[in-house]
Amino acid sequence: MIQEEYRGARQWSRNRQAVATVVWISFLSAAIATMLFFAAFDPVELAAMFDIDIGRQGGYAVGFFFFWLLSGLSSGLTAWLIRTAPKRDPQER
Amino acid sequence: MSRDKDTAPTQTASLYESAAKIYPREQAGRFDKLSKLATIVLLGLFYVVPWLNWDERQAVLFDLPARKFYLVGLTLWPQDFPYLALLLIIAALSLFFFTALAGRLWCGFACPQTVWTEAFIWMEQWTEGTRSQRMKLDKAPWSWNKLRRKGSKQFLWITFSLWTGFTFVGYFTSIRQLGLDILDLNVGGWTLFWGVFYGFATYGNAGFMREQVCKYMCPYARFQSAMFDKDTLIISYDEQRGEPRGSRQRSVDHREAGLGDCIDCTLCVQVCPTGIDIRDGLQYDCIACAACIDACDSVMDRMGYPRGLVRYTTEQSMAGKKTRILRPRVFVYATLLLVLIGGLVTSMVTRTPVILDVIRDRNSLYRELPDGMIENIYTLKLINQSNEPRSFRLSVAGVPGLILDGVGDTVDVPGGEILSLPVRTRANRDQAHGIMDITFTVEATDDASITVIEDSRFVGLMP
Repeated sequence: MIQEEYRGARQWSRNRQAVATVVWISFLSAAIATMLFFAAFDPVELAAMFDIDIGRQGGYAVGFFFFWLLSGLSSGLTAWLIRTAPKRDPQER
Repeated sequence: MSRDKDTAPTQTASLYESAAKIYPREQAGRFDKLSKLATIVLLGLFYVVPWLNWDERQAVLFDLPARKFYLVGLTLWPQDFPYLALLLIIAALSLFFFTALAGRLWCGFACPQTVWTEAFIWMEQWTEGTRSQRMKLDKAPWSWNKLRRKGSKQFLWITFSLWTGFTFVGYFTSIRQLGLDILDLNVGGWTLFWGVFYGFATYGNAGFMREQVCKYMCPYARFQSAMFDKDTLIISYDEQRGEPRGSRQRSVDHREAGLGDCIDCTLCVQVCPTGIDIRDGLQYDCIACAACIDACDSVMDRMGYPRGLVRYTTEQSMAGKKTRILRPRVFVYATLLLVLIGGLVTSMVTRTPVILDVIRDRNSLYRELPDGMIENIYTLKLINQSNEPRSFRLSVAGVPGLILDGVGDTVDVPGGEILSLPVRTRANRDQAHGIMDITFTVEATDDASITVIEDSRFVGLMP
């Protein structure tokens, strides 16, 4: 009885799994990228080059979401291409 | 195996399938004590540390708006980023090291996911009661009692989450000021956003996602098996001793009745926060929280059997061999760790607390003065990384007779500040031809060992 109660409990569908993984892993990558990038560049100075007036906090946030979008796009496309690839011939390795 | 004996009642199964939610049972025991202690200490640190002060400022503050990190007595600048990177690598290696030695200690006791989930489950227990009470409550139709219990749980969860978000932001901007700003209802947009963002993530992860984060989203949970070998500490069910499992009366000599030590009470399954059956063998869903050990030990005590049917052990010792603690893998991780930690400490200790940047004026190569001298213009950025004010002596060399103008004998830089200093250098036109390498030297007046030399160029007359 206990077995039935838990077996298969809260198993994610493949879609849900793919979306959650892509969002989460690209979030982590974006966090690392943001850290590396802004250790080298000051958002205020960067923005000044383009004549934009944006505070540091705003700059960090924009940078973070840009990286998240970029890595999310990359992870998402990768996941999508792998999942929609034509079926392999089981004979071939 | 006598497992089929126990799968008889199906009337409840359908209900659980639709609920598909794990209700971890509460279980006292030594490892539960340890896990409670870990939760209180780790969460306590998280919530208390930003309130601690050091030298009239927040002791730990990653001041992003000012681009400075304060770690107790230490001030780190963007230029010190390699230290942070090294620190992260050391953290990752320590994780590998401890995983090789003791398995998923991190997952079971220290991971924020585990720790916050534990705190959320406490709140769930205070408001909704024990495991069976919670299951009954979820199945029951809505009533005043259910609304009250669920409502107070949500109230606790949301308040706790918001406080968590507030504390998180308090690591990046002065928490006391932030508290005052909140009381004034005058919080900056981004600050508010990140606070709510982190609070919401805590609420979702610790309140709802829980074990699914470990199962589906955590990279470490997947690759930790690469650090495992036969001598790694794991939590395991002693199949030889336990099987064949089955219920029995205490008075019966179970050996004579052909039964193993497992009475198939399923307590180990009920307490499991990830909903697995440890008796099925090592599974990557197992976060090694040791709740099943506590559960099984309590049953063994009641039955009068020796403890340890489910226990911390290694594959080697399960197979009746000796466990080796010191093995090549452990040595490799330990050596790497020691080298990196040694490197970090040495470079931190020998760090010169001053940075000099020399920026040549981009607008003109050189200027000829009426008295026949050639002049170049620079901007010096002098960063005093120490917390005390310091005065420095500046000098320049590389061209015979080169002189530095525009600064006094010494310049004073307050602690933790950047001084931007426009300077002129001059050389006689006979000495200045083409592009010449020069060096700027800055030396602290109070300590000659604090000296930084920075290269630059002097442009003289072009042929």
